[in-house]
Amino acid sequence: MVRAILAPSKRPNKHLAWQMNTGIDLQGNFLQTLKDIGLPAGVAKALWIPLPLFLMLVTATVGVLVVVWLERKISAAAQQRIGPEYAGPLGVLQPVADGVKLVFKEDTLSSKSDRWLFTLGPVVVVIPVFLSYLIVPFGQNLVITDLNVGIFLWIALSSITPIGLLMSGYASNNKYSLLGGLRAAAQSISYEIPLAFAVLAIVMMSNSLSTIDIVQQQSGYGVLGWNIWRQPVGFIIFWIAALAECERLPFDLPEAEEELVAGYQTEYSGMKFALFYLGSYVNLVLSALIFAILYLGGWESPIPIEKLAGLLGVGETTPWLQAIAAAIGITMTVLKAYLLVFLAILMRWTVPRVRIDQLLNLGWKFLLPVSLVNLLLTAALKLTFPFAFGG
Amino acid sequence: MFKILKQVSDYAQESFLAAKYIGQGLSVTFDHMRRRPVTVQYPYEKLIPTERFRGRIHFEFDKCISCEVCVRVCPINLPVVDWEFNKEAKKKELKHYSIDFGVCIFCGNCVEYCPTNCLSMTEEYELASYDRHELNYDNVALGRLPYKVTDDPMVKPLREFGYLPKGVLEPHDLAAGSKRAGKRPEEIIKAEENQKA
Repeated sequence: MVRAILAPSKRPNKHLAWQMNTGIDLQGNFLQTLKDIGLPAGVAKALWIPLPLFLMLVTATVGVLVVVWLERKISAAAQQRIGPEYAGPLGVLQPVADGVKLVFKEDTLSSKSDRWLFTLGPVVVVIPVFLSYLIVPFGQNLVITDLNVGIFLWIALSSITPIGLLMSGYASNNKYSLLGGLRAAAQSISYEIPLAFAVLAIVMMSNSLSTIDIVQQQSGYGVLGWNIWRQPVGFIIFWIAALAECERLPFDLPEAEEELVAGYQTEYSGMKFALFYLGSYVNLVLSALIFAILYLGGWESPIPIEKLAGLLGVGETTPWLQAIAAAIGITMTVLKAYLLVFLAILMRWTVPRVRIDQLLNLGWKFLLPVSLVNLLLTAALKLTFPFAFGG
Repeated sequence: MFKILKQVSDYAQESFLAAKYIGQGLSVTFDHMRRRPVTVQYPYEKLIPTERFRGRIHFEFDKCISCEVCVRVCPINLPVVDWEFNKEAKKKELKHYSIDFGVCIFCGNCVEYCPTNCLSMTEEYELASYDRHELNYDNVALGRLPYKVTDDPMVKPLREFGYLPKGVLEPHDLAAGSKRAGKRPEEIIKAEENQKA
């Protein structure tokens, strides 16, 4: 899947202690193979660069197909229905059929709408979501870029989305769309702050913004080392805020079907609508992945593999162990993410939609002070118990 | 000073309660995951209508005495009874009879009051058509025998809840000859006759 750390020396020295083995270096091997064939180093690099990007794009899209299928099947189960059944085994091809239908639909443009903003809106919504996958690690070296501002990049990119929503809502020349766009903007802005505070508490404990460092700080003790135990309030705040950012059901006011038809999506059809649809599901998966990384130990399995290998007397650098560890890492990350997606879908059929005033009250009067207190408490605990809270 | 503390504690309590209720709700929806779907795959499976099902009305032309009771008891005087008085026989002679099922509310009054029992309810409920005028059934259409779910080889008939054995909720894969809970009408009649004797 990927790669990325240029060389172990790029990391701060203190991590080298944990990071005795650098794991599988796909990029290094790829470049070396090409150089052995006789290609110049520059050409080899240029050949490598699109590979992880393309792979990530495909992963995200396939992830969406899975989530759409899951959403339909789990929704059906929650209502004692069967759900998609005839498109492929167990209806797994249903999301593909949906996508193909959207591709072939007419691309309509309502009269007196702003053509440019109308077209740009979905693009502005989708691109940042896909870009955020840059920093999602699936393993020690299985990440496109290990930025030292990783998690901050995600927060920054996610605040571009409401601009796109507002754009498309305003450009549609439709009252429902405008209301939906305004609601989306208000909601995103108010829930970004508690979200950032919750992330900040984690960052404070990990002493790093890099997603890799955040996971490594939780590693070594299996399930007991995960941040969820150190941030019991933080993860709830993060989850609520993430649901609001994704416009998932308790907070899906921007597209509330019963009140606003479909909010900012009302005038959209065909591929432009498909972009919104894709964007919302990619965002859900992304939020679940980030949650897994921040609070559930990312690619770490509940029982630490390294310790287990040590007990069995298998060296950390054994190739087959590394391959198995990488496979388990990817599985764990994806498993945790989909568990959270399941929770989000279950939530959708459990809680009713909040009103706009309740939404803003919850955001500003509850989540914001609680997340601030959580941040201060984390700082105090970090000073008092530096060994347990990453001092 | 104490007032604000109380406010804070009340607020915290409310938040915990809210969280608790959401948790309870989640456990309910989660419980639904393991329940069987209630879906009836309609064109391939159909529920068997109950004994007292009020479907399309059947009409027997020869039994009708053109008394027009059905018209009088109908909430909207729907049945059209076209008759002529035959002076020689001194009898009404029925020429046409029709009911428009696009307007009928299937209340069953006509069936209830018909003195010669020439009207009866059937178990037929699939009346969809492309033109509402096709729903205006004349005496020929009304005289057709109803479509039966159990006679259709393309359809898997499913029993409704009331017709399943005791404790069974799943109409699929029923054992052959399994009876519904309680006594069947003929059994009740038999028991009463035995009591009399």
